[in-house]
Amino acid sequence: MIAGVCAGLAVHLGISRSWVRVGMVILTFASGAGIVLYAWLWIFVPTAADRAAEAGRKSGPAAFMHGVGADPGLLTRSGDRGGNAGHGRAGRCGPGGMHGRGVPSGVSASSGSGASSGIAGSVLPSDSGIRSGIVGSALPSGLHAPSRAAGSGSTGGSSTPDGVAGSSIPGGSGVPDGIMGGSTGTGSAGSTETATHATTTRPAVGLLDPDAWRDRTVSAGRREILFGTAMLLAAAVLVVQLLGVDVNWGFLVPIAVVATGAALAWSQLDEVRRARVMNRAGAGRVGGTLRLLAGLVLVIAGVLVALSSSGSWTLTVATLVAVLAVLAGVGLVLAPWGLKFWRDLETERAGRVRETERAEMAAHLHDSVLQTLALIQNRADSETDVLRLARAQERELRQWLFADPARDPGSLAERLRVMAGEIEDRYGHPVAVVAVGDAVLGPAEDALAQAAREAMVNAAKHAGVAVSVYLEAGPEIVEVFVRDRGPGFDLSAVPADRLGIRESIHSRMARHGGSSDLRSDEDGTEVRLRLPRPVRSDA
Amino acid sequence: MDSDNPRVHEQAPGTVSVVIVDDHGIFRSGLRAALGAVIDVLGEAATVEEAETVITATAPDVVLLDVHLPGGHGGGGAEVIHRCVRRGTTSRFLALSVSDSAEDVVAVIRAGARGYVTKTISGPEITDAVQRIASGDAVFSPRLAGFVLDAFGTTSVAVDDELDRLSARELEVMRLIARGYSYKETAKELFISVKTVETHVSAVLRKLQLSSRHELTRWATERKLL
Repeated sequence: MIAGVCAGLAVHLGISRSWVRVGMVILTFASGAGIVLYAWLWIFVPTAADRAAEAGRKSGPAAFMHGVGADPGLLTRSGDRGGNAGHGRAGRCGPGGMHGRGVPSGVSASSGSGASSGIAGSVLPSDSGIRSGIVGSALPSGLHAPSRAAGSGSTGGSSTPDGVAGSSIPGGSGVPDGIMGGSTGTGSAGSTETATHATTTRPAVGLLDPDAWRDRTVSAGRREILFGTAMLLAAAVLVVQLLGVDVNWGFLVPIAVVATGAALAWSQLDEVRRARVMNRAGAGRVGGTLRLLAGLVLVIAGVLVALSSSGSWTLTVATLVAVLAVLAGVGLVLAPWGLKFWRDLETERAGRVRETERAEMAAHLHDSVLQTLALIQNRADSETDVLRLARAQERELRQWLFADPARDPGSLAERLRVMAGEIEDRYGHPVAVVAVGDAVLGPAEDALAQAAREAMVNAAKHAGVAVSVYLEAGPEIVEVFVRDRGPGFDLSAVPADRLGIRESIHSRMARHGGSSDLRSDEDGTEVRLRLPRPVRSDA
Repeated sequence: MDSDNPRVHEQAPGTVSVVIVDDHGIFRSGLRAALGAVIDVLGEAATVEEAETVITATAPDVVLLDVHLPGGHGGGGAEVIHRCVRRGTTSRFLALSVSDSAEDVVAVIRAGARGYVTKTISGPEITDAVQRIASGDAVFSPRLAGFVLDAFGTTSVAVDDELDRLSARELEVMRLIARGYSYKETAKELFISVKTVETHVSAVLRKLQLSSRHELTRWATERKLL
C-alpha cells in the first residue's frame, strides 16, 4: 500500500500479501479502523532497515513494551523463515519478521509472549533457521527460561492469523542487540482492534532479569506512550461509534485539539528542565518557542470551536475577536507587574552571580596572596627567599588573572612558560618567555621543549642572570632562542664527556629532524633550536 | 629630534626631567630611588586628572606612565596621553605596566607612548630607557617586540613604506629584540650602527601607532595575556 506495512504483516503472518490488503481495506471501511491500524503499525513497527541499523549499533538502551488494551487471550506468535526474511520486502514489516534482516547471519528462532497483564516479550537463543513461535498468553514471567525456548522452537509450525506479537533476537549469531516485538490483534469480529506493541531494542544482558523489565517499561519513551494512548483512544471512539453510540464529533474534536495543544505546551516544561539539567541553556530555543506557539494556537482554536460548537464561522470569528480583546486587556493590566517581576528576578540573579564571583576571588586571594605575604614577612631577612616567593606569587596571580581558558595547555608556548616558571623557582633567576605563534605539542615539539628546558637550566645555573626565551612558531619552522647575558664560556673548553649540551640539546634536536647551535661570547650565551615543521597533508 | 625644551627650567646638560604617574605611592617612591642621578624627577601624580595637571604645569621631557590609572573616564594611561596631547604637550611618554596584556600595551602605544617596559625593570635599565625616550627614540622590551611580531606577522614584508607590514630589516630587528638583545647587541649582530637600529625601531613604533590595520586592535583584544 504505502509503506509496506501490509507486505511486512503478510510476511510475518505467513499468509498472502493480497489477503492482508483485502483485510485492511475491509477494516478501513469499518469506520476507518484499518487506517488507524495501518498508521499505528507504520509508526511503531520498525522497518527492516531500522532494525539492521539498531543491530549494528547495539546500543538500544531500553525496550519498551506497552500493553494497553491487549487481549489477554491473544495468541501471539513470531518467528519467520530465514529465507522468507531475506526476500525483497522493504519498508515496514511485521515485528516477528524483523530479525531476519537485522541479523546478517540469518535467523534464529525466537519466541514471543504476551503476559497476562499486558505484554512481555522474551528472547531466547535457539537454533538458527528454525521457524518458531509460541503461544504466549497468560504466561508467567518465568517464561524467559531457556527451557521454554526449546518448547517454542517445537511449536514453531503453527500459525495463528489473528494475532501477531513477538520478539526476536538472533541466537545463532550471538549478537546481543535486542528485540523487536509488536503485536496486533485484529479481532475475529473484524471491527475492533486491539493493539499491543513492543518496540525498540535492548541488550541481551539482563534479558532474563525481571527488574530490567520493569525499568524498561518505566523508562520507555514518554512520547510513545502518549502517542499510543491517543491512538487507542481514537480507536476506542471508533469502536464505540460502530457499536451504535452516537458520538458527538463537534464536541470531541475540539477537546482533542485542546488536549494536543496543552500537551505540546507542557512538554516544553519538561524540555526546559531537561535543558537545565544538561546545562545547555539556550539550546533549541527556537524549537521551544515554536512548540509553545503551536500549543497556544491549538488550545485557543480548540476552545473557540468548542464554544461555538455549532461550527459556524461567523460565530467563531466573533468569539475569536472577543477572546483576543479579553486577552489583550488582561495582558495590558498584567504586563507592568510581569515586567517588574522579571526585572527583580534578573537583578537578583545578577547579584547572586556577583556575590559568587566575589567569594571566589576572596577565597583565591586568601589561599594565595595572603599566604605568600605572610611568608614574606617571616623571611624578611632572606632576600633570595623573598624574591623567589614574590616572583612565584606574581606568576601564579598573573596566570589566574589573565589566563585565557581557551588556551591550550598542551601547546608549545604554554609548555615553555611552565618550564620557565619551574626553573625560575629553582634557581631564583627570572626566565622571561616571549612567544610569537604557537604549535601543538607533538613528539618533535616535545623534544624541542625538552631541549629548550635544558638550555634554560644551563643558563640559569651557569650564567646566574636573567634568561630570555623567545619562541617563534611559523608555518614552516619552529625556533626557540634561549639567551642570557652571563659571562659566557669557551665552548672548546667544555670537556667532551659533558653530556648536557651535546646529548640533551644537539642530539635530541637531530633525532627529530631539527638542529641547534650555541654561541657564547662576552655578551652572553645563546642557544638556538630549530625544528622544521612537516608539511601537513591536510593543510 | 632634539628634546631640549626651552620651557623647562634650568637643568644640567645631560639630565632628563621626568614626571612619574602611578597610583601606587610605594612604587613611585621606589622608582624615584631607582632612577639614576641624571634623571630629575619634577613631580608625581596618581590619577588621570592629577597627571594632566602636573604634566602641563611642569612640562617634563619624559613621563613615566602607568598603564592602569584611576580617574578620568577610565581610560588609564592612554587617556592621560590623549588629554596631554590635546593640550599641546611636548613631553614623551614611556609606558610602565605590570599587566603584560597586549590589549593594554597596544592601547597605550597607539595613544602615543614611545615605549613600553615592565615594572620589574632594573634601575639602570629604566634610566637608560628614559634617556633613550628623551632623545626621541623608541623603547621596545622583548615582550613588546613579541607583540609587534605577533600582530604584524613574522613573514609579511613591506614594499615601500607600507604601514601595515614590517620591512625585512625591521623584522630582523624586532626578532633580535624579542630574543633579549639590546640595541647595541642588535646593531652588532646585524652589522649596522646603533643609530640605524633606533631608526628601525622608531619606524616600527610609527607603524604600530599609525597602522589602520584593523586586525591590530582585534588581535590585541583577543590576546588577553602574554
